[in-house]
Amino acid sequence: MKGNEAIAHAAIRCGADGYFGYPITPQSEVIETLAELKPWETTGMVVLQAESEVASINMIYGGAGAGKKVLTSSSSPGVALMQEGIAYMAGAELPGVFVNVQRGGPGLGTIQPSQSVYFQATRGGGNGDYYVITLAPNSVQEMADFVDLAFELAFKYRNPAMILSDGVIGQMMEKVVLPPFKPRRTEEEILKECPWATTGRTKDRKPNIITSLELTSEVMEQRNLHLQEKYQQIRDNEVRFETMNLNEEDDYMIVAFGSAARIAEKAMELAKEEGMKVGLFRPITLWPFPEKEIAAAAKGKKGVLVVEINAGQMVEDVRLSVNGAVPVAHFGRLGGIVPEPDEIVKALKEKF
Amino acid sequence: MAKIKGAIVVNTERCKGCQLCIIACPKNVIALAQKKVNAHGYPYVEASLPDECIGCASCAIVCPDGCITVYKKKVE
Repeated sequence: MKGNEAIAHAAIRCGADGYFGYPITPQSEVIETLAELKPWETTGMVVLQAESEVASINMIYGGAGAGKKVLTSSSSPGVALMQEGIAYMAGAELPGVFVNVQRGGPGLGTIQPSQSVYFQATRGGGNGDYYVITLAPNSVQEMADFVDLAFELAFKYRNPAMILSDGVIGQMMEKVVLPPFKPRRTEEEILKECPWATTGRTKDRKPNIITSLELTSEVMEQRNLHLQEKYQQIRDNEVRFETMNLNEEDDYMIVAFGSAARIAEKAMELAKEEGMKVGLFRPITLWPFPEKEIAAAAKGKKGVLVVEINAGQMVEDVRLSVNGAVPVAHFGRLGGIVPEPDEIVKALKEKF
Repeated sequence: MAKIKGAIVVNTERCKGCQLCIIACPKNVIALAQKKVNAHGYPYVEASLPDECIGCASCAIVCPDGCITVYKKKVE
């Protein structure tokens, strides 16, 4: 099935309570598949097409405030519209899952695949010092698997989580093993797991208030410090990455995420056939970024090539991680053009 | 010997313009429709040289979305 269809199936199977979205190419199949599967008749999951991305993100804000497992999906320009709501959720410490099937930009850009939103996704995106846990799948299988993982992380840290996919993976057809069915949580379970949720006040407790607003600077600073402490915890515990054929004696290392990593994998094979010693490093969490791991893996290499489908975004994080120890170069195509494996091999030869 | 002629019908609403069929076609029958897109905004393929089609169904086999139906006809 398509990556987008896998997201829809996985959302129902992981016991999500609601999906609120607005169609946009290349992710319209998510809401199309949900409409076809009619989960409101089986699990009771709500599926709603909102009037805009701004409306859908605020529905997520409301649903998450009630302790529900809610998700939305969109593509680059749509997620740009959602940033206000995501910042509110980060400020109010609410869990929610966003699927971003990236397309080219800026502005409306193109509907063809790109990795144009790396900066926005990994730097928070909206206003204020906050971060969004960002997972980058590179296959349809991971599209299905990461929905449950994203919910798990979002609820564990009470923070929004994003699945940063792109038009290639969203539209790609692959075999996939769907996750097992999990029942939706009951009201009692939500009360137990989310004591902060606004589920209706009972006589024995104070009302729960969900807001990102605080007008007293001293209190707001404490809240900010608390958030920063939480982000540090996430950085310490949740870094995920994968290496392929990466050996210490290799001359070069390619760093790529998402669909670019799939293309880089093929490029690595081609380069190996030509006798080059190349390994691949794929960050799975883009925030928290595997800084220490990349620095360690880059040690002793002649060069690190960052392959992206953009003009050079993750390359900045790789440079910061390597901190000048090894030359770092970037290769990417723009405007919805997907790089070819032999172009990457050529870039590897030319740049170092 | 009877000649076999083929014809293809593309489900343009499901086509995402991946162009795998264009590469697969041995007769270069298929091309992207010029300046036309479907409801999703994707350029879709069409038979630009329909008379050349031999009904080999390579395009239908390679299509990841099952958008292409192939018809075969004997020509006496």
